[in-house]
Amino acid sequence: MAGASLDIQDLHKSFGGVAAVNGVSLRLEPGRIYGLIGPNGSGKTTLFNCITGVERPDAGRVVLDGERIDGLKPYQIALKGVGRTFQVIRVFPELTALENLLVVTRGDRAAAAARAEELLRFVKLERLKDEFAGNLSYGQQKLVEFVRMLMRDPRLVLLDEPAAGVNRTLLNDLLDAVRRLRDQGKTVLLVEHDMKVVMGLCEHVFVLDHGEKIAEGAPGVIQADERVIEAYFGR
Amino acid sequence: MKAGVLGALAIVLVAAAVYPVVATGYGLRATLQVFMWIALAGSWNIISGLTGYVSFGHVAFFGVGAYTGAILVATHGWPWLPAALAGGVAATVLALLIGYPCLRLKGPYFAIAMLGLNEVLRALASYFEGLTGGGNGLSLPTLDASLPIYYVTGLLALAVTGTTYLIVTSRFGLRLMTIREDEVAAEAMGIDTFRHKLYAFLLSAVAPGIAGALMARDQGYIEPISVFPLATTITMIVMVLFGGKGTVWGPVLGAVVLFVAQEMVWARYPYLHPALFGTIIVVVVLAMPRGVLGLLQIKYRLPRTV
Repeated sequence: MAGASLDIQDLHKSFGGVAAVNGVSLRLEPGRIYGLIGPNGSGKTTLFNCITGVERPDAGRVVLDGERIDGLKPYQIALKGVGRTFQVIRVFPELTALENLLVVTRGDRAAAAARAEELLRFVKLERLKDEFAGNLSYGQQKLVEFVRMLMRDPRLVLLDEPAAGVNRTLLNDLLDAVRRLRDQGKTVLLVEHDMKVVMGLCEHVFVLDHGEKIAEGAPGVIQADERVIEAYFGR
Repeated sequence: MKAGVLGALAIVLVAAAVYPVVATGYGLRATLQVFMWIALAGSWNIISGLTGYVSFGHVAFFGVGAYTGAILVATHGWPWLPAALAGGVAATVLALLIGYPCLRLKGPYFAIAMLGLNEVLRALASYFEGLTGGGNGLSLPTLDASLPIYYVTGLLALAVTGTTYLIVTSRFGLRLMTIREDEVAAEAMGIDTFRHKLYAFLLSAVAPGIAGALMARDQGYIEPISVFPLATTITMIVMVLFGGKGTVWGPVLGAVVLFVAQEMVWARYPYLHPALFGTIIVVVVLAMPRGVLGLLQIKYRLPRTV
């Protein structure tokens, strides 16, 4: 499936007295890779959770291809074509790698298995397909989570720190895979702390600080932005 | 391997079918009880072992089935078999009413809610004397149907185990397990976890409802304490934990082994019997949290259907 546009309009989400996301607006176009950066506690994951329905925003809209999705349940949003990975790995540990991918399939089982195995081959895990996902290494689990998300052929892909804990070789494979998703026309938004990854992969970067968007633009522009430097390093 | 398993299964089934010809009265009753425990433990395994929603009040479905069946037989003159099926329907309806709000609760909250449900139902059964006979209980007309009840309960045990096999080998079953493994990730994958939990819950209520009605008919008398005991839920749980939760044959193994052990201890040391169960819980949880079959599966890399 080709990519979707995502329009976030004046989104607010507070926890108690803390405004985790405070009036953020951003727009994603299909077929591009976007980065979302910011110091810890700047609201990146909360924003992800609001897009995917894990959290219900207090105010504002989330519009996917012209259709409001805020207020829908997480599974409904997933069915609309939003796939995500998590900051802390969430594979199904006592299902095999193959079963992790098969859970969402229906109909022809052989065809589903063939597709799942193809995706596992794509990340070089076909040899481990019958191993419990919980027994795989951290990086391998991350790959399982990544291809599991692809089983639904999402239009918008949200990646929460895809590079964290993954070794260089594996990381390059993963980044290639993300670029291929973009080439298929999918929309990608990733949260990442590794600036090398962000600058090398993303075409457009949003910077959050204290729940507000303080800057956006091409990676080179962002790196030179004073407010960004200040948010990261202090005045 | 597969042929061997099927062969062994066929032998057990034939043996169970012809057993009444040679059985003593005690033997027949004991085997009937084993069938019932297989059905109960297997049902608990569907919602709690596979889906991961631990129900501490599963005997509620047994009790509601027992009262439904008993009232239909005693007050309305129904034959026992349709009354037993009605017991299953009543339990399923209860599961729908209870599951709708309670399955939105997570982890321990669901377990406690189910515990409360059972206590409420027991109180209600005592309170509505006109319908249930209250604390005096409800007597059913005398009828010796122990042989047909033996077969029907056996079929029930078989049906629960067969259903579990079908679930475990299906992608529906995989989706139930994703709820146990990580509900947030399951939702993010587009799985309607609430609907899946509800289906599992309904499936887990049918057989206990039927079993309750069958036991009411077989024993001829029920009272609130006899059909809503927390101990029955605990026994189901211990059987499944011992045999292996989330497996197909774990509840069967647990039901057979623990029932036999229980009978042996009962006869000789009546007061030791609760201590036995307590000890088994502690030992299983500490030494083999996956149960006997769970342990074997991991060790010998056996499929989940073992």
